[in-house]
Formats: sequence, structure tokens, C-alpha cells
Amino acid sequence: MALKLTLAGRTHLVEIVRRRPRLVLSIDGREHEIAAAGEGGDGRNSLEIGGDSLHFVRAQVGDSQLVHLKGRGYEVGWVDPQAEIADAGADHDEVKSPMPGRVVSVSRIAGDRVLRGETVATIESMKLQMSLPAPRDGRIAAILRAEGDAVEKDEAVARLEALSPGS
Amino acid sequence: MRKIQSTINASSAEFRRNFAHNKRLAAEFRERQEAARHSRPARDLARIAKQGKMRPRERIEKLIDPGTPFLELSSLAANMAYGGEAPSASCIAGIGIVAGKETMIRADDCTVKGGAWYPLTVKKIVRALDIALENRLPVIHLCDSAGGFLPLQAELFPDRQMAGRIFRNQSLLSKLGVQQLALVFGHCTAGGAYIPALSDYSVIVRGTGAVFLGGPPLVRAATGEEVSVEELGGAEMHTSVSGVCDYPAATEEEAISIGRDIVRLWREPNKIAGRREPAEAPAYDPEELYGILPDDIKRQFEMREIIARIVDGSRFHEYQPNYGATLVCGFANIWGFKVGILANNGVLFNDSSLKGAHFIELCNQNETPLLFLQNITGYMVGREYERRGITKDGAKMIMAQSCSRVPKFTVMCNGSFGAGNYGMCGRAYDGRLLFAWPNHQIGVMGGKQAANTLADVKLNQMKRGGEAVDRALVERVREETLAAYQEQLSAYYSTSELWDDGIIDPVDTRNALGVAISASLNAPLGEPGYGVFRF
Repeated sequence: MALKLTLAGRTHLVEIVRRRPRLVLSIDGREHEIAAAGEGGDGRNSLEIGGDSLHFVRAQVGDSQLVHLKGRGYEVGWVDPQAEIADAGADHDEVKSPMPGRVVSVSRIAGDRVLRGETVATIESMKLQMSLPAPRDGRIAAILRAEGDAVEKDEAVARLEALSPGS
Repeated sequence: MRKIQSTINASSAEFRRNFAHNKRLAAEFRERQEAARHSRPARDLARIAKQGKMRPRERIEKLIDPGTPFLELSSLAANMAYGGEAPSASCIAGIGIVAGKETMIRADDCTVKGGAWYPLTVKKIVRALDIALENRLPVIHLCDSAGGFLPLQAELFPDRQMAGRIFRNQSLLSKLGVQQLALVFGHCTAGGAYIPALSDYSVIVRGTGAVFLGGPPLVRAATGEEVSVEELGGAEMHTSVSGVCDYPAATEEEAISIGRDIVRLWREPNKIAGRREPAEAPAYDPEELYGILPDDIKRQFEMREIIARIVDGSRFHEYQPNYGATLVCGFANIWGFKVGILANNGVLFNDSSLKGAHFIELCNQNETPLLFLQNITGYMVGREYERRGITKDGAKMIMAQSCSRVPKFTVMCNGSFGAGNYGMCGRAYDGRLLFAWPNHQIGVMGGKQAANTLADVKLNQMKRGGEAVDRALVERVREETLAAYQEQLSAYYSTSELWDDGIIDPVDTRNALGVAISASLNAPLGEPGYGVFRF
């Protein structure tokens, strides 16, 4: 399985091509032969990549790896495939009601800017009031249901649109 | 397992409003608990001091290993009963560590009416012994009770779950090989006399400890015999003549010290083996729970935010993250112990019920204890859902949950209304322990719904009878019902009646569950298998 790593805002795909006789990694489609020269303690490491020797220092801080190489520091992030799956739904534009019920309040109007997670409307169903959050950052394109309206399960109460660049 | 990404905004007006509200509820709970534990008439405290006795909580402090936690259960039992005259139902129960072993400690409270047993005292003792049975926890009884509270004997003596159950449970514990020790500090009168008699070991304090079926006044009335307490059932007589007790002790401290020696002799517990990983504090501050819980029982909140503040490292492996979204299911660790969590994120639909039932089966297959985090207004109603068989899907969840062989724990995080309470392991489903937060409300339906329903019934009665509609009367029905419901819906009423094992401050949930899960591993898993699932 390919590993997704982020470095300076860019995502790189890293995959093991072979382990023997020497480790070969594919990084963004290009293959590199790699040999580990070993750790020197205190996070000091060295690798041989395609015959060139490379010395660096690395440290784990929280969930990210910090790497110091040739006088510069880099932060290497790992993209959790489960997180990608879980966030897959976060791009859609519709603010949907998860329950059949009634709209008790609409807190935004068309044209408002919203951040992901901010409440757009509140519905009530089965004695429970639920805030309907914006699924992503954006602008309210349209409010589709008004206070007091009945809504079906999975019906959209509002629709978002992307912020135009520069706004 | 990956870390839950919290999306709360701790500086929002809503968070701060919730925080203030729930912090106040927690403070009010602590105040009530403090009063139940320590506030007693000076007269009673003076009498105890004069007798050279310790207060029951001092005894427990000296009994448990120094620096270890004591998980007190039902500290506010009976807080709304008997005009408040039986704080904590005049007895103490909890799980504590003695000589390195997890034990159920149960103490009579001689600072309340001489330690007399009220009906709810009996209920609390029976519950403590049920917990001991289910978890195979050795029991230490700290005896000091005048006996049953006679004016209410009909409510504490005759029925199946009443006083007789205490001695039945003691016998069954012994049959299972679970040890019991009785430390007799004061009187064990009438039925209470069986507590040391049915314990495997007993210690009795000279001068103050006494065990007899009938005290001197009863003996005088029955046979005319004049006899002193000491002669009738004192330490000397029982440890040298009758053999009812084993060891005499000169002081209460000595009795506790002998008791600790005895527990040290007991075999090491045979806990079920399971992989325990290193514990890790949650990545998010549990104090934030106050700001996440709403200040209105009707407001929904994100249960993953709650989970993130209870489990190790806030790490959670969510099962079926995109299916049956109103029931969050997944695996996490608490104190390094693996648990399967089911948490309500809305009303239970067909898909969420099926997901819940399937997840419960997975936990049973995997021998993973179950944790239910309740905030439930019920299963979805309406024509479409009935046609889809919401009832049979709810039934599957109840079947899987009832027949589970793994330990189950429940935390009432907010509302618990209607049949959702059943599927989510409410009190009737024999969870090992069930805790409630101070904001918790429980009932077959909400107060407003009940009041409106009954007011409508009244209105229709009047219309049918051809009477003039008396609006004032209908309003009175509505208001009276609402008032009665509000009182009975509250967490304080629930805990007063022992519908739970105690209210806890939300920030203590992780530790309470840690103690509970650890204790539960003393008992073997139940029998595997389920009944017929309706498909």
C-alpha cells in the first residue's frame, strides 16, 4: 500500500517496490535504491540514496516528524487513510437534515460566509433539537427551508457555494 | 485507532454558556454529596465520639490501601426520600483496594438513626452484593446497625429483593468462592446478625460490637429474661463460647488491622486475561465536557467530542463511520483496557439499530467489554419507519445486548427516554455499573409530552361527556403533570431510587470507568449465545 506523506504543503506518494536485495522505494513514481547506514543516537540518521550518502536528524513531535537536513528543518506529515475516508463526505455543498422533522430556526441568510462546523439551521425531531453545521467553509448560496417548515430525512435545508477567490 | 479531531470552539458564546451551566450543576452535585457524607446533627456525632467509635468514612479510609481510590457508589441514594433523613440511604458502598485486592466495601452508617436500615438502605446493600456477585468481588462488611427501620418494615422485609436477599446473596457469593469479611464495630441485630455469621471471617470489637437475633429489650418482652448486651452477644461470648465471630479486637483500629491481615491471606484474584496496553490521558481536556454538554436537555451534541474526553489518547477506531450515523460505534481504550463504545448521536433508525446489534456481536466475539453512552429520545416513529420494521430492528439490538457475555457499562450522559433506554443497556439489562451525570433526565417520555398528552385526554373526556370545556382545569392537569414529571425526571430522583449506581461529575467518568472495568475482569465471561433474532 502506498504511503501518503506531506512535505511543505505537498503530498507525496511513497511505495515499497522491492525489499531485496536492496530496498527500492517509488516516490511519486520515480524509483530510488536506498540503504540505511544506521542511527547515530540522538535522532541522528544517515541513508544512502542511489549511492549518495545523506545525513539528517529527525524527531517525533506529537503526530508529526521533524527532519533537519542540510541546514533546513522540514515537517513531514502522514495522511491517515482512515481520516481521508472519514473526511470524504466533507466536500459536499448541501446542509442536510439527518432526521425527518421541523425547522425551528435558520441562523444564516443567503450570501453569508460560513466556516466548516458553524450552525446554519436548527431542526427538531423526536423531542431533540439538532444544529445543522456547514459541511465545509464557503458561502450560503441558498436557504431552501424556512422556520416552521417540515423536512424529510436527508433533505437539504441550505446549499453552500465555494468562496470566489479573493473574497 | 486514530485521534478524534475535536471541532469545538471553546471561545464561542454557546460553549461558555454551556460551561457555566454544567459547571454549576457539578458544583451543586458536589455540595449535595458533601452534605450527604458529612453533615450530621452534632448530637449524633457527640454520641458516637463518646462511645469511642469512628465515623464510618474514617473506618473506610483506614481500611483501604493508603493513596488508592475508593469508588463510592450511590452517594446520593435516598436523597429525595424520607424527608431527607437518611443521607446516602444511611449506608456506604463502594469499590476499594485492600491489601492490593479489589473489594466491595459496604458500611452501615451509625451516624444516621443508629445505622437503621430504611427500605432504600436494603436496596443499596442488595445492589452492592449483586455487584460483588456479578464481578466476583470479595466483600468487606463494616457492621454497625440497629436493624430494620421498623415503621417501614413492610417496604424492606418481605419481598424478593428485600432484606432476605442480602443473606441469599452472601450465601451465593460464598458458593462461588468469593471471600467475605465482617468487621463488627457496633450492633448486628436481628437479620443483621446473619451478616457476620454468613461471612467467611469476622472480627468483633470488645465493648461496642454485639451480635444477636434479638436485643435485650426484645428478649425481656419475649421471655422475661434480663440480660446485658455484653452477655447476650458481646465480643467475649461470641469469640469464646458461640463461635459466631472469629477474632476479638480491643479497638476499632485493631479490628481494621486484623481485617487487613486476613485480606492479605486471601488468594490472588484470578482475573480474565486480556491484553492491557499502557494507559494514556485523553488528548483533550475533560473539563471541556462542561462546555460540550448543552444547557437544554433538548439540544443535541456530538458524542465523539464526549468520547474524545474519556478515552486513552482520545483515540478511537470508529466502526461503520458512514452507516447508521445516529449511533456512533467503535473501539477505544480506557486505562489501557479495550472497550467497545456505543454512543447516541440522535434517534435510533433502522440502520443505526442494525449497526448497534452487529457491533455488540463483534464485541462479544472479540471479548471486548461494552460501554454505552446514552443520550437517547428513542427509536424513530412514523409510518415509514414502522413499515420498515423499526420495532424488529430495535428488538435485534435488545436481543444482542441482553444476551451479551461481556461486561457492560452505561453512562447516562444526558436524556434517556423511551425504548432507547432498553437498547442502550438501561438499568434493567444488568450492566455491571451504571453512572449518571448531574444533567441526566430519565422517563418513559419527556415532561412536556406527558403533560400535553394527559391534558389532551382530559379535554377529550370533557368534550365526549358533553361538558362545557373547563380550560382552567385542563391547564391545571397540564401544570400538575409537568411539575410531577420534572421532579421524577431528574438525576437526583433517579439516584435517590437507586436506578443507577450514582451520579458522577463528568470529569470523573474516565476514572470511574477505569475502576469499574478493572473490577469487572474478576469474573469470567458469561455463556455465549443469543436467542432468535427477528429478521
